[in-house]
Amino acid sequence: MLDILTQLGAGFLACFTPVHMAVLVLGILIGLLVGVLPGLTLVMGVVLFLPFTYQMDITSAIILLTAMYVSGTYGGAFTSILFRIPGEPIHVPLLWDGYAMAQKGQPAKALGWTLVAALVGGLISGIIMVFMTQPVASFALRFSSPEYFAIVLFGLASVIALGGSSLSNALVSLGLGLLVASVGSDATYGAYRFTFDLPILADGIEFLVVMVGAYGVGEVLSRLETGFTTKTIDTRSGAKTQLPSLREMLGFKMLFLRSSVLGNIVGIVPGAGATIASFVCYGVESQLDRGKKRLGKGVPEGIVAPQAAATASVGGALVPLLALGIPGSGATAVIMGAFMLHGVQPGPQVLLTSADMVYTIFASLFLGVVLMCVLGYFAIRPLVKVLDLPEAVVSAFVMVFCFVGALSIRSNITDLWLMIAFGFVGYAFERLRFPIAPMVLGVILGPLAEEAFMNSMISFGNDWTVFFTRPISGTIMAVIVLILVLPFMGRIWRRPGPGAGREDAGLRP
Amino acid sequence: MERLKTTAWLPYAVMLLVAVFFWFIADGIDYAARPGTLGPDFWPKAAILLIGITCAYELARAFFLGRSNDTQGLAATLTSADDAEEEVSAKYPRLLVAGAALTVAYGLLLPWLGFPLTTFLYFVCFMYVGRYRRHLAIWLNAALGTLVFCILFMRLVYVSLPRGVPPFDRVTDLIVNMF
Repeated sequence: MLDILTQLGAGFLACFTPVHMAVLVLGILIGLLVGVLPGLTLVMGVVLFLPFTYQMDITSAIILLTAMYVSGTYGGAFTSILFRIPGEPIHVPLLWDGYAMAQKGQPAKALGWTLVAALVGGLISGIIMVFMTQPVASFALRFSSPEYFAIVLFGLASVIALGGSSLSNALVSLGLGLLVASVGSDATYGAYRFTFDLPILADGIEFLVVMVGAYGVGEVLSRLETGFTTKTIDTRSGAKTQLPSLREMLGFKMLFLRSSVLGNIVGIVPGAGATIASFVCYGVESQLDRGKKRLGKGVPEGIVAPQAAATASVGGALVPLLALGIPGSGATAVIMGAFMLHGVQPGPQVLLTSADMVYTIFASLFLGVVLMCVLGYFAIRPLVKVLDLPEAVVSAFVMVFCFVGALSIRSNITDLWLMIAFGFVGYAFERLRFPIAPMVLGVILGPLAEEAFMNSMISFGNDWTVFFTRPISGTIMAVIVLILVLPFMGRIWRRPGPGAGREDAGLRP
Repeated sequence: MERLKTTAWLPYAVMLLVAVFFWFIADGIDYAARPGTLGPDFWPKAAILLIGITCAYELARAFFLGRSNDTQGLAATLTSADDAEEEVSAKYPRLLVAGAALTVAYGLLLPWLGFPLTTFLYFVCFMYVGRYRRHLAIWLNAALGTLVFCILFMRLVYVSLPRGVPPFDRVTDLIVNMF
């Protein structure tokens, strides 16, 4: 405990260097802008800024991307509350109470509740993250290849079961990701797979090419098909933030705690992330509010719960990344990519070999959350003015960022072509409602899963029951089965009974 | 019986064909087999099987039961109400085709014209395709954007971007050496 606090203190000191503070402020600003602009998603923003980190030292690179990640969960709240435009799916629940409160003539108050929720959620989840990562990593050091395979499989299973689309589509997307990951020479035999006699494919397909294409190009093409018809709004309104009083805040202390802890837990689960955290916590509040039927009419509970949970999910998502080397979301997958580009493999060893870096990243999250709220408080008007930028101009810049991102990976034009191809795949996926996240996670986790699986098979004489008979891997496998059954249970719950009406049983008020 | 929507079966049929194609490629993976161990074709074949079985299942559902997939991830239960709202926006397929063609043209022209010229042309064309019609703003944004990208990625954060072939490489050199 004392050791953790000492290292965290050293992390804070390291954070206060001019370079780290500069990248932190830059990351927060860019994240807020990405959150505000409807054409840019949080993951897209983090992906597009990855090339900037190549020349940075690893700590600065991770601080920049983590800052973008955390502030991206807050930026979209402004447009949701003021203009009913959710910059991110994370902020859809804010439309229901945040916008309603604004319509009642209290937009400043709604923004104030959002700010406090983001602050409290971020700080509570930061504390949980700091004290949880070390024990989880120490536990993970006991893992052998069967346990490691089980935990990677858990990540893949949860992204399917918890996703927002059809289970079949998610499975196809995952299969495609695993297939793409197997291109190149395999780690066990050195045999070439699916290289089609192209030398660059012998080194495999970089997962960043897949991410930049599918998330960046795919999204821009999808929006181009709609003619860039984001509705025009008057951003000249005097947007400002009015903080709630201490008494008002103390009145909701259990709500803050509940939403932050729950958001953090949801963030830890691979495949869940900020959007699900936001919806789940709003759902919990709507259940608790059932008798009063206040939610959806512009009450603070409907603002605090989703915002605190969304920001709290960031700290949660960093735990499996740093302690196990498993990215649970698109944004953490990019952060993992940044680690790997700098020659560091996140996982239990990283806390032993680079503890100073890890604790600097932890400290930057705390500072980032505070800075984000300060910037959000004072810079709300210029931030909202960004909405005046024409979508065609922003999208043109996003596309060129994607091109540079692909070219900068290996300085090879083939990567550009692969990125464009995955851009078309991303567009097709979006159009046909196939989720992109399973494919991306399949590309990233595929090699890890294959290596752990093949090592287990070699070590245990092709005995596949080893995954079920060892206590830790067996437990994880049981959880995987449970997770995969959940969507089918959900289907049974949703099925209306013989006398049921057509009333919408969803969370939406 | 209602006519089956193309989107209910075509993606799965295409993916099934892709799976079959890759299965045959995987069969041809060349390696020195060790007796009693799994080969390098095992893992990709497992992924192909996952795709193939899922697609076959969905095709069977679509053709025999007349239903498309309906088992959703848990998040779908939370967000479905809002997805319905997104459906209403109009589609402009010509813009999409033009944007896609521009993107492919960028890849084709980049080795010849070099990064600055290709990027400038792409900026201008893409903004017009995106239905932006302020001519001065378009050309200014394109010129400034190209300049910033060149300075940023060819001078500050060094990324090896294509210079182009003569005489276009002179434009690249001129811009890069300007600052």
